[in-house]
Amino acid sequence: MSADLAAAAKSASPPGDDKAAISVKDMRKSFGDHEVLKGISLEAHKGDVISILGSSGSGKSTFLRCINLLELPDSGEVRVDGELIRMKQGRDGRQMPADIRQVERVRANLAMVFQSFNLWSHMTVLENLVAAPTHVLKRPRAECLEQAEALLKRVGIWERRNYYPPHMSGGQQQRAAIARALAMNPKVMLFDEPTSALDPELVGEVLRVMRSLAEEGRTMLVVTHEMGFARDVSSQVMFLHKGEVDSLGEPKEMFARPPTQQFKQFIANFNK
Amino acid sequence: MDSNFYLSTIWSVLKALPLTLEIWLFGVAIGLVIASGLTWMRASGYKLGEYFARAYVFVFRGSPLLVQLYLIYFGLSQFDFVRHSPILWPILRDPMYCTILAMALNTAAYSSEIFRGALRAVPVGQIEAAKAFGMPTFTRFRLVTLPIALRLALPAYSTEIILMTKATALASMVTIMEMMGTAQKIQHDTFRPIEVLTCAGVIYLLLNLSIARLFAFVEYLLSPHLRPPPEQSQQIKPVPEVL
Amino acid sequence: MEFLNNLLDQLSTAYELLAAGWGVQLLWGISWTLAVTVVSMLIGATLGSLVAAAKLSSSGGLRFIGESYTTVFRGEPELLIIYLFYYGGTQVLTGVARSTGSIGPTDIVNMPSFLGGVLAVGIISGAYQAEVFRGSFLAIHRGELEAARAYGMSALMRFRLVIMPQVLRLAVPGLGNVWQLTIKDSALISVTGVAELMLSANKAARSTHHSLLFYALAGILYLVMTSISTPIFEKAERYTSRSFVRPK
Repeated sequence: MSADLAAAAKSASPPGDDKAAISVKDMRKSFGDHEVLKGISLEAHKGDVISILGSSGSGKSTFLRCINLLELPDSGEVRVDGELIRMKQGRDGRQMPADIRQVERVRANLAMVFQSFNLWSHMTVLENLVAAPTHVLKRPRAECLEQAEALLKRVGIWERRNYYPPHMSGGQQQRAAIARALAMNPKVMLFDEPTSALDPELVGEVLRVMRSLAEEGRTMLVVTHEMGFARDVSSQVMFLHKGEVDSLGEPKEMFARPPTQQFKQFIANFNK
Repeated sequence: MDSNFYLSTIWSVLKALPLTLEIWLFGVAIGLVIASGLTWMRASGYKLGEYFARAYVFVFRGSPLLVQLYLIYFGLSQFDFVRHSPILWPILRDPMYCTILAMALNTAAYSSEIFRGALRAVPVGQIEAAKAFGMPTFTRFRLVTLPIALRLALPAYSTEIILMTKATALASMVTIMEMMGTAQKIQHDTFRPIEVLTCAGVIYLLLNLSIARLFAFVEYLLSPHLRPPPEQSQQIKPVPEVL
Repeated sequence: MEFLNNLLDQLSTAYELLAAGWGVQLLWGISWTLAVTVVSMLIGATLGSLVAAAKLSSSGGLRFIGESYTTVFRGEPELLIIYLFYYGGTQVLTGVARSTGSIGPTDIVNMPSFLGGVLAVGIISGAYQAEVFRGSFLAIHRGELEAARAYGMSALMRFRLVIMPQVLRLAVPGLGNVWQLTIKDSALISVTGVAELMLSANKAARSTHHSLLFYALAGILYLVMTSISTPIFEKAERYTSRSFVRPK
């Protein structure tokens, strides 16, 4: 798919006050005394690819994990396709999901790709791709298998469909994990440092797959250290510093003229 | 050497093997059910259930199985309500049922600790991935947590089950003529304990080795993901060495 | 409530029975149980370290002997081993005495019950201790052994200065488990007539017809013995691994 098409796909979603694919408002989270997220907001429309950058400890992974409630945020709102995830006050005073069914339904729409792949090690690659669609989305198994094979061909590991994850390279596992996420037909894809656990020579194959997803107009939130991906592929870059949004903007602009001292230093450290 | 004596001893002891296996099988099976209950109590997050399970494990692991057996067989019949109960009395006056009960209660304590350890050892990432894909709790448990935990529990659990084979010998202390009881009787009648006990010992050893083999095979079946990938596996011997 | 009445009955008679001499019996039982356990552990430690060394040796024959030992004595019912040593011992002693003519052809020389019991339980304990020692040795960081060799230490020096202290440290938790196992196994040698706790409880239960009381008491006393040994072994673990604790 060409870049023009991607741009066309993006412009197809009307700008402004429409329903955002995902919107987060004023999210806060502390671990003990340490405040990791100090009120972070974000809005992604259909087709947006938002790269979330920041040094380690900036809270970027926690932010992503708070969106699908793998971590429970202390406060803040998450809306997926306009639907608010309802929270209630738990017995210990912290907030918790009001309706776990709703959370499960929302999570199924927010397929996540993990840093350490987290493919289910006792299932073959094909079984990994079929498990959630059949059991969570209740789709017919034959249909899921067909789609799974097509996805595996697309990410280039169809030959390994009957392998168990420990028998594959990191790059292959991560491509399988991306295919597993795609098998859910998610509205938004969450990538949690998808290339950080890979040997340098395997990073390229995973980035190529992610780039092709961006080009076909997928909505993606990507926590990453890959400056090239952030600059060339994403539609927006969000830079977190000490639990706050330090800067946010168009990648070309951001990288050409860093708006803040922190971001300037951050990219300078990377270019060294 | 008097090979006829050996053969007839082995044959007599072997005739008691079905009884030994019966005690073993029922003890292990009932124990497994109780152990699952205890594990669930420990993991459920209910304080009361957790304390009960802890106390249970403490008591049954901390005292000898023989004491537990005597307490059930000789001790409980002290209660009038036990002797007059139409349900309890037929069970508690029968040495066979009492042995099975004592073994089940005992192995449940050890097994529940094994299962608890295995559940805790399931990698967090595997469960998180299931959560992130929207799997409800029970589906997550059935598809991800349980298969992984079972595989992790298997080696320790097979050891526990072999300990239970050995424990069946205690049935002879409450007049059951299983293999140990039979060997005891022959030894008394002939006053040739070394020969008789050696015969029984060989049978117990073979029994335990076969059980260990069986478990090794189950372990092999359950762990294709820990074996080398398909194209290499032809050169690997299928059953790993155990015991 | 029949149950409650029964229980109260039992409790009120409990004191009388214990005061009438059964209490002292049980106390003697405890000391014999501890004696059996300690001696068995020592026998087991000696055999266990030899067997562990055999299992780790480069000689195939020794390894086979070591493997067989642990397989057999962990795979057989404890009761069978105890009978084998007690009655088997009697068979051997009697045979020897008869053939030397020191006793008549119908006389019997009994195996001393304490000796027979302690040998059996000690040998079983040895099989489990061998596994503990072997595991500890394998857990020693290979680099430390290489370093010892690189500094020109002799085999004996390496054993005394590097291997021994580390094996002991790593073995403490495992030995704690074996100790509890051995306490529980010691209950089985009541069949040979050693007046340890199980046999004392047995005698008391049979002659007073208060089985529940005495078996429950025995159970509690075993629990006390196994559970007070836990903090002792934890303390030992802290002591032997003091160089590994980060100073505060």
